[in-house]
Amino acid sequence: MDNQEFINKVIESVISGDDVEAEALAKQALENNMDPLAVINDGYVVGIKQVGDMFEVGELFLPELIQAAEAVKKSTTILNEAITGGANKDKGKVLIATVEGDIHDIGKAIVLSLLVANGFDVLDLGRDVPTLDIITKAEEFKADVIGTSALLTTTMVRQQDLEKALRNEGLRDKYKTIVGGAPVTVRWAEKIGADAYAENAGEGVNKIISLIGK
Amino acid sequence: MVVTRMGDGSFITLSKDEVRRDIEEGVADAVKRGKIEPLGADEIDHLVDICCRPQKFVSVEKGKELILSYDSGSLKITRLGIPIGMPQIMQLYERAFAADSLELAYVHYSFKPIKSIVPEEQYAVAETSLVTTAPLLYGAMPNLPLYTKPDGPCDNAAELLPAGKIDQARQAQEEAVEYAIKDMVFVSSGMYEAGADGIDFDTTGAAGDAEFYATLKATEKLREKYPDMAIEIGMAGEFVLGFHGQLEYDGVRLAGLYPHKQVKLAEKAGASVFGAVVNTNSSRSFPWNLGRAITFCKACVEAADIPVHANVGMGVGAVPLVMTPPIDCVSRTSAAMAEVGKLDGL
Repeated sequence: MDNQEFINKVIESVISGDDVEAEALAKQALENNMDPLAVINDGYVVGIKQVGDMFEVGELFLPELIQAAEAVKKSTTILNEAITGGANKDKGKVLIATVEGDIHDIGKAIVLSLLVANGFDVLDLGRDVPTLDIITKAEEFKADVIGTSALLTTTMVRQQDLEKALRNEGLRDKYKTIVGGAPVTVRWAEKIGADAYAENAGEGVNKIISLIGK
Repeated sequence: MVVTRMGDGSFITLSKDEVRRDIEEGVADAVKRGKIEPLGADEIDHLVDICCRPQKFVSVEKGKELILSYDSGSLKITRLGIPIGMPQIMQLYERAFAADSLELAYVHYSFKPIKSIVPEEQYAVAETSLVTTAPLLYGAMPNLPLYTKPDGPCDNAAELLPAGKIDQARQAQEEAVEYAIKDMVFVSSGMYEAGADGIDFDTTGAAGDAEFYATLKATEKLREKYPDMAIEIGMAGEFVLGFHGQLEYDGVRLAGLYPHKQVKLAEKAGASVFGAVVNTNSSRSFPWNLGRAITFCKACVEAADIPVHANVGMGVGAVPLVMTPPIDCVSRTSAAMAEVGKLDGL
């Protein structure tokens, strides 16, 4: 089996969410003295990107996405240990929450899964989270980005409260903020002073990558 | 130049060529996602004409009017702070708002909380049916998450899935489905027997494929129990979210279905009317959203053997995502749904 065939098998293991096969291939790559970073970038990263694309167009769904993410996580842990100096560094820390008064968390669960799949360190505060709790936890977690979700027109004002509270506490420049949810628009994000708005989970990940700039 | 809007309601100005380009791109997006046929050149011309008319309010030719119905109607008048009872609200819809069918609803608008006040709601249904002549539906949402922790007895899939507990998440959703079916059948039966002509399952599938499955099964049971009952299945979005991912109905995987396939399962289950929904993208223009919504809805109508009523409201059916949907967009979408989409109702 040449290198490209091997890489194709890695990609296929990720797309099929086969963590046992993905892990076995990671170990085999090390036994064959392959460059672990190249295997990560050309195999596992390409695989999870394809999974993300299939998720975006509805050819693959949340459970499969999570299985694929799990396969990548386990395999890249094995390969990362072989990389001197930790070449595959963390992408950044993201805190996400559904705002106070809002109990909708399905959309947030998708964002959470996509962020983890893309290598972010994510703290999920859950739903119905008071504004001050978001700030306190962001400080403890040393978050780079605070993402909030609101599904109701009556609760989206909490995203505005967060912006005001961050400014009042002198913390606004410390964090990048991103907002989303069914009634939320780019105009709303601009109005309240958020750094970014995401129409859907996939766009959310891309916007966070841009915000962090890593 | 044409004054139109973005999907978030803000005004923009486009040339006629830009309007056409956006419509064509919206059509192409629907074709790609839904794997459906595009609109024809004459239909796109028609949409361009509808978008470019200078009038604030546009309408349809005589004879092309559609059935008009309103979901959760009784809640919307109550929200305005007007002290008025349900029968009078329904009379307003029938006699002032030109509604062809009426929907009576409770403020919590979900089957689970309604099951404990069924006798009170039955009274409102019976009273309303005595003072109105239009078909009277009782409406509520399946709202599957109300059966999950912390609001219900089942584990919460939205917490289990991100933790990688996929089997447990699927099992929790399957348990919630059984509770939801029971409540939907119980409440719907009560309202029908109190005098309602039928039931509207509104915002179906908001919690994904398991919720759509529960609604189809409840419809199936009600159809068997009441052969003449009117049952409308109105969707929450254009796409059935694969939150479970493996559920099938009549041998068809529910996750990932678009309106033209959703309607076939609704028919199979026994629905009388299907409420198609196409989401508005707030970052794209109204012409883009219109082209996309009409393409999806037209494909749905062509596939359907039951009437299709498109949802044309805040953030759906090309209507911008604003609290008070602007009449310029609502009227244009409505005209396009009638003349190009060939829908049966709105």
